[in-house]
Amino acid sequence: MVLYALIAGVLIGLFYGFAALGLSLAFGVLRVVNIAHGDVIVLGSYLAYELSTQAHINPLFAIPIAVPLAVALGMAFYRFVAPSLGRSSDPEMVSLILFFGVSQVIEALATIGFSVNQDTLLTGPIGNGAVRILGQSFPNYYPAAAAVAVPGALLVMFYLYRSRLGLATRALMSSRADAMLSGIDVDRTSALSFGIALALAASAGALSVYVNGGVAPTDGPGLTTTAFAVVVIGGLGNPGGALVGGLVFGLAEQFAQSYEPNWAGLVPYVLLLAVMLVKPEGLLGRRVRYA
Amino acid sequence: MKVHRRLLGLAGVCAATGGVVAIAATQAQAGHTRASAASAPKQIVVGTLYASSGAYAADSIPQYDGVKFWVNQMNKQGGVYVAAYKKKIHVKLVAYNDQSSPTTAATLYSQLITQNHVNIMIPDFGSVLTAPAVSIAQDHHQLLFDATASGTVFFTPNNPYIVGAGIRNSAFWPDPLVQFLVAKHIKKIAILYDANDFDAAQAATLDHGLIAHGVKPVYYQSTATTTTTYGTLIDSIAATNPQAVIELGYNTNDIPFLNTLPSAGHKFNMVFTVFPGQLPQLFQQQVGTKNLGYTYTYATPPLVPYPKVNLGLNTAQFSRAFKAAFPSQAVDYPAMAGYGTALIAQEALNKATSFSQLAMRRAVGNASGKLTTAIGQFKITKDGEEEGEFLPVGQVFPSHGGTAIKVVYPTNLATTKAKYPAPKG
Amino acid sequence: MPEGVAGASGQRATRAQTWRRRGADVAAVLVPTVLFALARTVDSNLLLLVTIMVYVVLAQGVNVIYGFTGYLPFGYVGFFGAGAYGTYIAVAHLGAGAVEATVLGGVCAVLVAIVLIPLLRLRGAYFAIASLAAALALSSLVSNPSLQSVTNGPYGADLSQVFSSGGSYWTAVVIVAFAMLVVVVLRRSRLGLQLRAVRADQVSASYAGVNVVAARTGAWLLSALLAGLAGGVYAWAISTFYPTAVFDTTISLFAIVFALFGGVGTVLGPVVGAVVLYYVYNAIGVNDPQYFQLIFGVVIVVIALFLPGGLAAVLLGARRRLATRGADAG
Repeated sequence: MVLYALIAGVLIGLFYGFAALGLSLAFGVLRVVNIAHGDVIVLGSYLAYELSTQAHINPLFAIPIAVPLAVALGMAFYRFVAPSLGRSSDPEMVSLILFFGVSQVIEALATIGFSVNQDTLLTGPIGNGAVRILGQSFPNYYPAAAAVAVPGALLVMFYLYRSRLGLATRALMSSRADAMLSGIDVDRTSALSFGIALALAASAGALSVYVNGGVAPTDGPGLTTTAFAVVVIGGLGNPGGALVGGLVFGLAEQFAQSYEPNWAGLVPYVLLLAVMLVKPEGLLGRRVRYA
Repeated sequence: MKVHRRLLGLAGVCAATGGVVAIAATQAQAGHTRASAASAPKQIVVGTLYASSGAYAADSIPQYDGVKFWVNQMNKQGGVYVAAYKKKIHVKLVAYNDQSSPTTAATLYSQLITQNHVNIMIPDFGSVLTAPAVSIAQDHHQLLFDATASGTVFFTPNNPYIVGAGIRNSAFWPDPLVQFLVAKHIKKIAILYDANDFDAAQAATLDHGLIAHGVKPVYYQSTATTTTTYGTLIDSIAATNPQAVIELGYNTNDIPFLNTLPSAGHKFNMVFTVFPGQLPQLFQQQVGTKNLGYTYTYATPPLVPYPKVNLGLNTAQFSRAFKAAFPSQAVDYPAMAGYGTALIAQEALNKATSFSQLAMRRAVGNASGKLTTAIGQFKITKDGEEEGEFLPVGQVFPSHGGTAIKVVYPTNLATTKAKYPAPKG
Repeated sequence: MPEGVAGASGQRATRAQTWRRRGADVAAVLVPTVLFALARTVDSNLLLLVTIMVYVVLAQGVNVIYGFTGYLPFGYVGFFGAGAYGTYIAVAHLGAGAVEATVLGGVCAVLVAIVLIPLLRLRGAYFAIASLAAALALSSLVSNPSLQSVTNGPYGADLSQVFSSGGSYWTAVVIVAFAMLVVVVLRRSRLGLQLRAVRADQVSASYAGVNVVAARTGAWLLSALLAGLAGGVYAWAISTFYPTAVFDTTISLFAIVFALFGGVGTVLGPVVGAVVLYYVYNAIGVNDPQYFQLIFGVVIVVIALFLPGGLAAVLLGARRRLATRGADAG
C-alpha cells in the first residue's frame, strides 16, 4: 500500500507538474494569470480524443500537432491583448479577469463543438496493458504521462537556461525594465513565452484525458485550480519548482486516498493554504510575494 | 462621529420607508385574489426542467425525453382524460434548461409555478436538482411528481406535496444486493462510496443490512464525488483482500473506476457499480466489453421487463415506440423513469374528482399498490416515498460483440445464474 | 478607480454640495430597496427576485473587498456557503427562528473570515486562488460524512420547517438595504478613505498613519458578513439544499462579473450589473446556455481590455463629455 501510493504519487505528481508548467511560465515571465489554463488543457484533451476516435491515430500525436498551433495562437493572442495590459495600472488583476472571460468562451465553444458528457478514451497510449513497477501494477498511462512530462520539463529548462531566447526570457522574469534597457525585444520574447505556455498546457491535455479519466467541457476550472496549487507549492517561474510542486501534490493526494479517503478531497487545498501561509515563496521559490 | 450621526439618519429614513413599502405591498397582496377555475382549462400544463449541460446532462436529457414521449402519446389520443371535468384535455409541455445548476433550477421551478401556473410538475433528474423545488412547491401547494430524486430529506409527514412516482428511494436500492451477498456467503466485502446523498444513502443501507446478517464490511470508506483517479484507492481496497468490491458513485465515477480496475493488477470475485444498468449504452461505449464483462449492477427496466401492466405501455412496447420517436436516444432507465412518472400524473388526472393538487395527491395515494407500469409496481409510503419498485441484481455478460445485462438475483426474476467468482483474465 | 462624486477628499464642500451629496446617499440606499420591495407586485416569481437580491448583495460584497482593497476573492462563495450552513445549524441545532438564523449565518461567515485573516498576507492572484482553495476545502468539510451530526454531511440541509417565501423575501429586501448602507457609509467613512489611500499607495498610506492591516481586515470581515447574510437568506428561501448547491463556485464568479460589469468602487454599479445581467441570464441564458456563456465570456474580455471601470465608467464618461460640450456651447 505504501509502495503503491508512493509510485502512483510520483508518476501522477510528475504529470501534475507538467500540467502546471505553462501556468508557471506565463505567470513568472509575463505576470499574466492565465485562468484559462485548464481550458487549454481541455482543448488539448479533445484534440487527442478526436485524433484517436476519428482518425485512429495514437492520441499522443496530439502533442506535435498542438504545439505549433498553440504557439502561433498564443503569440497572436498575446500581441492582441498586450497593449491593454500594458496600459493598466494593475495588469495582473486585469489579466485575471481577461482570462476568466477567455475561459468562459472556451468552455462555451467546447460545449457547442463537443458533447456535454464526459468522453473517455478506451485505448491507452500504449495499448491497454498494465505496467508493473517494483512488483506493483499500474495503468500504462501513469508511466506514459511521467515519460512525457519529464523530457517536456527538461526541454523547457534547456530552452530557459541554454538558449539565447531563454536568457532573454529569464531577464524578463527578473526585471522587465532592465530587460528592455539591455536591448531585448520584450514584446517578441513575451509573446513567444505565452505561446510556449499554451503549448505546454495543450500537450498536458493529451495526457489528462487518461489521468483524469476522460474529458468534459467543464473540466477547465478544476484543472486550473490544481495547476495553480502545484505552481504555488513549488514556487514560481521555475520549471523545477513546478515538478517539485507536482510531486508534493501528487504524493499528498495519493497517500490521503490510501489512508484517509474520507478526507482525501480536502488534502490538496489544505496543503496549498499551508504552503502559502508558511512559506509564501513556494518550496523552491526565492521571491517574496506578499504585501 | 459625523459618520455615526449620518449613519443613524440614513438608517432611520430607510426604516421608515421600508415600513411604508411593506404596508403598501401587503395591501396590494391582499387585494390580489386568485380567480377560481369554474370551467375546464383549455390545456393541462405540464412543467419540467432538464439539464442540457453539466454533471447531470447524461441522465436528465433522457428523463425529459421520456416525459415528452408521454405528452405526445396523450395528444395523439386527443389529450389526457381529466376526471374532474369528465373530458379529454390537450397537454402542453413547458420545460426550461437549468444546466445542472441548483441555483438556476430554483428560480426556474419558481417560474413554472408562479408564472406558467403548471398543473403537473415533474422536477429535474436527481436529488441535487430536485431539492430546490421541494419547499417552493410545498409553499405554493403544488404537487411534485418526483421522477428520479431519491433524497432522504424530501419526504416528511407534514408535506403532502411531493410523491415519488418514478425511481425508488436510493436507500432501498441495495436490499436485493444485501440478500444476494448473504445468499452467496460472501463475507469479505469492500464498500467505496462517494460523499453525496444518493450514494451515501445506499452505502448506509448496505452497511446496516450486512451487519444485521453478521457481516462487517472489511473496507467502508467515502471519497469525494469529484474523484476520477482510482489506482491507489483500488490498491488500498485490495489490501483488505475482499471477495466483493462495491463502488457506489455517479456515472462519472463508475466509468474511471471500472476502467482502472484491470490495470491495477488485482482481480476480485465480484465487482458492483451503480450505473451500467441504467445507462448501458454509455457504459458499453466508454468502458467496453472487456472491462465491463462479469461485473454486477442494479438491473433496471428495460433490462427487467414488465410485460403485464395496467397503465400505459408495457416495457417492450415502450422501448419500441420510444425508439421510433427518438431514434438517436437510447432507451435507458432515466427515459423510462420520465415516462413512468408521467403515467402516475396521468393516473392522478384520470381519477381525481376535483381539479386540485391535493385531490390528485389523494388519487395517487389510492392507486398505491394497485398499479403496474413499464417500470414496475407503483407503491408509496404514507410520506410519499416510492417503495414498490424493485431493483434486482444484474450481471454483465459478454454477448456477440457487446454486452448484455442479465438478472441473476432474486431467483424468481433471474434469467440466468450468476457467474461467481468472475472468470479470471 | 472610477469616482462618481468627488469623495471625502478633504476639500471643504459648500453647503449645497453637502446636501446634494447626502441626498444622493439616501437615494442610493432607498431607491434599490424600494424598487425591490415593490418588485413583487410586478414579478410574481419571488424566488427569482430573492436570487437577484442575493446577487446584488454578493456583488456589493465583492465591491467592498475588491473595489476598496483590490483583493479579488475567487472563493467568495465560501462565505455564502458558510452563511447558508450557519443558518441551517442555527435552525436545526439551536432552534433559532429563521430571521435570527439568517443573522447567525452572517456571523458564521464572519467567523470563517476571522480564521482566514492570514490569507490577507497574500496578494493578487495568490489571494484569489488561496480564497478559492479555502472555499473548496470548506465545501469538502461540510459535505464530509464524518460531520453528519453537525451539517448532515452529504444528505443535505432541510429548513422546510421554517420556510416562508414572504418572510425570506422581506428579509432579503432588508439585507439589500443593509448592503447599500454599508457601501454608502464605507465610501464616506474614514475606513473607506483609508482603504482608498492604501489601494493607491500602500507605503505612503502607512507613513500617513493608516493602519493598513486593520483597514483591510475591516473590509474583509464586512464583505464576509454581506455574503453570509446573503447565504443565510438564500438557504431560507430554498430550504432544501445540498453542499454542492451553496458552495457552487459559479456563484462567486457570477458575483464578481456582475460587480465588474456594473463598475466596482461605485455604489450603484454592482446593483445595476447584478440586476441587468441576471435578468438577461434568466431570459436568454436559460434556453441557450452555451451561447449565453459565450456572450458572457466576450463581455468579460471586453470589460477587461477596454472598459476597466465597467458600465458606471461608461455612463459617467458620457455624462462628463455631455457636460463639457454643454459648457463649451454656453
